[in-house]
Amino acid sequence: MALDPKIRINLDRSRVLLVDDNPQALEALNSMFRGFGVRKQFKCGSGAEAMHVVKTQEVDLIVIDSSMPDMDGYDFVQWLRREAPDVSKFTPVIMLAGHAARSMVEKSRDSGANFVVSKPFTPEILLQRVFWVAKDERQMVVAQGYVGPDRRFKNMGPPLGIKGRRKDDLSANVGAATAPNLDQSDIDMLMKPSKVQL
Amino acid sequence: MSEAEFVKVKYRLSEQVAQPGGMTAGLASDRAQRELAAHAGDAMKSLGHMIGRLEVMCREKTAALDTVYEEGSTILDIAGVFNKRVLCDACYSLCELVDRQRTHNRADWASIGVHVNAMRMLWSKDDADPATMKSVVDGLWAITDRLNP
Repeated sequence: MALDPKIRINLDRSRVLLVDDNPQALEALNSMFRGFGVRKQFKCGSGAEAMHVVKTQEVDLIVIDSSMPDMDGYDFVQWLRREAPDVSKFTPVIMLAGHAARSMVEKSRDSGANFVVSKPFTPEILLQRVFWVAKDERQMVVAQGYVGPDRRFKNMGPPLGIKGRRKDDLSANVGAATAPNLDQSDIDMLMKPSKVQL
Repeated sequence: MSEAEFVKVKYRLSEQVAQPGGMTAGLASDRAQRELAAHAGDAMKSLGHMIGRLEVMCREKTAALDTVYEEGSTILDIAGVFNKRVLCDACYSLCELVDRQRTHNRADWASIGVHVNAMRMLWSKDDADPATMKSVVDGLWAITDRLNP
């Protein structure tokens, strides 16, 4: 589902941490977020640098590459969710993924990132994921083997104003009332069983 | 085993994006695309150098598979940010091939070489119609899929 180009989005005050070991990819990400209107960006070339930023600064969003030497994106998110200062522990994370090596599949699944964006991607896709993260209402699960957003599927219905694919799809948002409220006697009639003469 | 705890989190980002001002998503995407375009030339040059390094590895046939995988992964990293879809697909096939080869502990430089040659061709024909180039990528995947994961 594409992001409606008319939706307004304000990232002026957002502080975004970008982490990629490749300087060119990091510069490209920096340019994209500048285009999105983000004024404060922290650029890090390694997981260790990013850990330092998280410990010393307040950030609102982390965008990190999955594959990096020493500490990869998955290890960083595991550290963030478990060992980072409480104020930063649940900072939303978008993971950028290239090739998923067989040995990394489980690690990726259990890392605790909010969303994974697979490469290649366009600025439009990245902005859409930023928007999704901002609207992400999933609770965080803190368990022995996993700390991160609840991964269980939940039927939230189609978003408000979007027609569902099935005829019985209903939005979770009921919207404003379209008829007068029931009065108390009508409600009582619905709740109280009445004796029926047959 | 201890029970899982559920924590309701309110992101600062959620409040920030809804603040008055800002810009439309369409304008933000266009601006980002323009900013990105300024780096595209340098990125293409770097991709050319990296493919060159892979070509040397294929000629010498002495590099470790991990090194080939790392180089392929870096190409994917850069090409992916610049949305070079066809080159990314070819590179993904190379990474998958090398990953399978290292799982089986067997290097097949001929199949790696075919991938690298195709990547050089796709890189040099960056402006070609992606639909035409898709058949090249399909051919690469046919080679990769000959080896079980």
